[in-house]
Amino acid sequence: MSKQIQDAYVVAAVRTPVAKRNGAFRHVRPDDMLATVLRALVAKVPNLDASQIGDVVTGCAMPEAEQGMNVARIGALLAGLPDAVPGITINRFCASGLQAVADAASRIRLGEADVMIAAGTESMSAMPQIMGNKVSLNPDIFARDENLAIAYGMGLTAEKVAQQWQVSREDQDAFAVESHRRACAAIAAGHFADEIAPYAVRAHVPGEAGTVRMVERVLENDEGPRADASLERLAKLRPVFAARGSVTAGNSSQMSDGAGAVLLMSEAAVKRYDVKPIARFAGYAVAGVPPQVMGIGPVEAIPRALALAGVSLGDIAWTELNEAFAAQALAVMRQLDMDPARVNPLGGAIALGHPLGATGAIRTATLMSAMQRDPALRYGMISMCIGTGMGAAGVFERV
Amino acid sequence: MSRLIIRKVAVLGAGVMGAQIAAHCANADVPVILFDLPAKEGDANGVVAKAIAGMKKLDPAPFAAKDRVRHVEAANYGSDLARLGECDLVIEAIAEKMEWKLDLYAKVAPHLKAGAIFASNTSGLSIEALAAGMPAERRSQFCGIHFFNPPRYMPLVELIPTAATEPALVDGLEGWLTTRLGKSIVRAKDTPNFVANRVGVFSILAVLHHTQRLGLAFDEVDLLTGPRIGRPKSATFRTGDVVGLDTLAHVVGTMQATLPDDPWSAHFRTPDWLRALIARGALGQKTKCGIYRKQGKQIQVLDLQLQDYRDSGGEVFPEVEAILKLKNPAEKFAQLAAHPHPQAQFLWSIFRDVFHYCAVHLGDIADNARDIDLAMRWGFGWAQGPFETWQAAGWQAVAEMIRDDIAHGRAMAAVPLPAWVFEREGVHAPAGSYSAAENSLKARAALSVYQRQLYPDRVLGEAPDDRGETLWENAGVRLWRRADQDARIGIVSITSKMHAIGDEVMDGLLEAVARAECELDGLVIWQPAPFAVGANLQQVGEACRAGEFDLLEKMVAKFQRTSMAIKHAQVPVVAAVQGMALGGGCEFVMHAAHRVFALESYVGLVEAGVGLIPAGGGCKEFALQAHAMAQRAAGGDVFPYIQNAFQTIAMATVAKSALEAVQLGFGRGSDDVLFNANEILFAAIRRARAMAESAWRPALLDPQVTVAGRNGVATCEMMLINMAEGGFISAHDYRVARAAATALCGGEVDSGSRVSEQWILDVERAQFVELLKTEKTQQRIAHMLETGKPLRN
Repeated sequence: MSKQIQDAYVVAAVRTPVAKRNGAFRHVRPDDMLATVLRALVAKVPNLDASQIGDVVTGCAMPEAEQGMNVARIGALLAGLPDAVPGITINRFCASGLQAVADAASRIRLGEADVMIAAGTESMSAMPQIMGNKVSLNPDIFARDENLAIAYGMGLTAEKVAQQWQVSREDQDAFAVESHRRACAAIAAGHFADEIAPYAVRAHVPGEAGTVRMVERVLENDEGPRADASLERLAKLRPVFAARGSVTAGNSSQMSDGAGAVLLMSEAAVKRYDVKPIARFAGYAVAGVPPQVMGIGPVEAIPRALALAGVSLGDIAWTELNEAFAAQALAVMRQLDMDPARVNPLGGAIALGHPLGATGAIRTATLMSAMQRDPALRYGMISMCIGTGMGAAGVFERV
Repeated sequence: MSRLIIRKVAVLGAGVMGAQIAAHCANADVPVILFDLPAKEGDANGVVAKAIAGMKKLDPAPFAAKDRVRHVEAANYGSDLARLGECDLVIEAIAEKMEWKLDLYAKVAPHLKAGAIFASNTSGLSIEALAAGMPAERRSQFCGIHFFNPPRYMPLVELIPTAATEPALVDGLEGWLTTRLGKSIVRAKDTPNFVANRVGVFSILAVLHHTQRLGLAFDEVDLLTGPRIGRPKSATFRTGDVVGLDTLAHVVGTMQATLPDDPWSAHFRTPDWLRALIARGALGQKTKCGIYRKQGKQIQVLDLQLQDYRDSGGEVFPEVEAILKLKNPAEKFAQLAAHPHPQAQFLWSIFRDVFHYCAVHLGDIADNARDIDLAMRWGFGWAQGPFETWQAAGWQAVAEMIRDDIAHGRAMAAVPLPAWVFEREGVHAPAGSYSAAENSLKARAALSVYQRQLYPDRVLGEAPDDRGETLWENAGVRLWRRADQDARIGIVSITSKMHAIGDEVMDGLLEAVARAECELDGLVIWQPAPFAVGANLQQVGEACRAGEFDLLEKMVAKFQRTSMAIKHAQVPVVAAVQGMALGGGCEFVMHAAHRVFALESYVGLVEAGVGLIPAGGGCKEFALQAHAMAQRAAGGDVFPYIQNAFQTIAMATVAKSALEAVQLGFGRGSDDVLFNANEILFAAIRRARAMAESAWRPALLDPQVTVAGRNGVATCEMMLINMAEGGFISAHDYRVARAAATALCGGEVDSGSRVSEQWILDVERAQFVELLKTEKTQQRIAHMLETGKPLRN
């Protein structure tokens, strides 16, 4: 068990709807998305003295261009948070948002802060290439065979996982169809309504006589889920990462734009501001695996996080396991013997989208929402695999 | 007359022809409004939007570059007719129904701009009858303008004026179609199906008739009526499948309906078996089943005897094959007519009946015999028209053979050959081609647009072209000039087979450049298509087999020297490019001071296919381009520009038009793209002259080129490792592509290093020679030499 002087509690969490890459948010800036969720988050706790926020820790997987220049601080200032509130951008690729929650919790658990914001923002539309503005690899990667996998694309690593853990194309496609089915059902049931702050997209388009016309459209739901997803449709897609592979665009996560933010407090702050906490931050772990099978990362991280939280997998009734690829999600679930019914009950990244560094914060909002809906749900977990071979997992306990 | 100005075109009808005519106008920087009926539901322009979207997927592509599509605007007859007022030329291309067309004319006429030309793309309806549908005051602006499918690629456009059409307008349109759209024009008379379809469809009917009469199989006939007799590979029945059997039946139907008095009219009918195919929806390619069908990978052909499909094959009887190989046409035709084999009889019969048909109808359908011959070449892809074929085979001898066959009832019609046939020794002569209507020789049109064509398509028997004055030549090139054009601009033409670049070509080019520097003001590299198919692989292969790598190294060094001589010549060197310019040919093009492209230029660095990289300065030129472009980009990073070039070279991408060639970096935005390949020499001579007279200066060697270096190579390698691990490329593909990356990045120096142009050439050459030493590259070269196809190993 880790040593801490106090617990950290999640008291509020909010997110944008997740838009498809080059979809509704194609011209929306990631710093604006961050500012929007920060404003929505603070608005949820009217008693809060915003100047007491210790830091805004923001995850972002490609912190450059529109989301460069320490986007955390820029987003905080754009959101109108007091100048006194600092901001830090952190990067652990796809776990950045969850890492932000863990880092924010750590500051509270160490007694260094009473109020912290953890967030994540990512616009994959703003990225000129998926790998960022300027791709430049180290020649030494190719000098030694054992380093080659650093250069592997994520899809190729998913193929390697599918091969090594024998995940068939049929199973991957079926998993993808189920992800869409669950997501569509959840939207229909309004399960995301509490966590989503509807986003007013203001498009600036050429108007009459040299004027710029403003067109506003409010996005309320995630764009990714497809009611028409079916095995037949998915079976027609060609593997893109390997000539004889099984990983397709249909059984991989969607590229997306979105942001999420989480407010954490110490017990003292909870009392001071008279808020009702949702969950206690119970533990977090990261672990490394070979880069060529990065998708298997959660298999190493989850047991460590569970041990730190002092619980077993059987105690976890709800897991948000990021579906980077159906191949790796299935391999992880099978390796750890996870119950499919308890994993991604509202669908995952294949349907809901995966705005890289924002996903951890976004799914924290989803888990908090689930805990608020269901008093019987005690322990929940968020986990994901991470490029270049890592896994992360965080455990939360409803209070 | 004053210049014909066409700022905008409207095309009415977004079917196959209408949409593709619109696309070709857009290719030529002429904005187009494409009209069709308003959609019954959804977007009112839905019909046209769908047609435009469909064209993006067609192969061969109607658009010469993807971005051209933005110049085609969708519109509909419901709400947009007023926009016709913006257009200087309106081309109607709706379905071939007289009453539909007349209805449409009545509807659009009030909206036309004063003075706008209105032209119908009808393939056979009477232009006079259509003109009557226009208000009287508009008829002087009305004519037929008949494109062939696919309009970007088929050269022919038939222009059909009516008695009322203003002659100056037709002349203007002929000039515009020729230069702006790059088309080849035949003026046709207003008779059913005009010229090319009249003869072409009759030729198909003759094939159908004799196929049945002699009991030949369809695949056998396609073997006989394809390239062996100078016609396209798809020959007869395969062409029918491509065109659509219903369309074919429709054209035959038009002949039947409109030509009841034609002596051959008894043959203007669709055979029963063809009607049966159409009845059951087997319409050819568009329904994936017609005279041929594909079963898996096997192509099957309909066999009338079996009343079923069987695997396609067929062979040409050896003696017939031998006759077809005869060089002397007189002998060839005499032997075909005399040989008893059904294939020989078939071939003689189809030629004889087409000759007979053309002779009888020359007077009513065409101005002169040249128009018929050129129409068949440009519209049907025949290597030779019927009259020139006949004349080459001995006019009178063949005429006697035809007369004899008519007398014995062997010809398809009993009508005698016209008397003029026996009064002449041929129809084409230096003074012109025979007009049966006027009983005189007609010279070519004197329109000024044709002065731009120094070497137009000539029919056999015409006056030979001015070959110019040879200044110097060797076994690989000829240096010459056309004093009537510009006595001080030299023309150097590659004369080797397929214009492959071997030792003698490089020697020749080096000498030509040296002479031009001393004695001339500029130099144009020009030869008829192809520009060049690349290095002489035979010479490379032989040196490889002998293990003479020092020799090969010297050969590559000379290649580079030749490119550099072109680039750094003290007079401007202009490359006039048409057809394929591949490998080393592409590299010479890249090194020229300026390029004059024909639109149909297919340019690429295809060395990877034989396990090599461009080493005649091609990689180096891309490195220089990246350097230059990065200077203008924030951050100054050269790699993004290298990355595009790397993909182009590694995948051996060939540009499918001159516009694409410029986009890929084989040319520059300032280059000229002409739509008519016959005009590029004219334009290139003038371009060289203009450069010589203005501020052109020879290029300097760049001593400081910023290169992507080792990080760049590693980043290219990232793409390769993913493709290799994913099973998309072989280990040798990886090696070849890595060599290309190394040359493009200026070697494995620090990223951002500054190196000299010569350094990059040295890297490129070293990588090339290393690849030549590998077994797999040698296997690729040997395979290419043996089979003409690339080997994947």
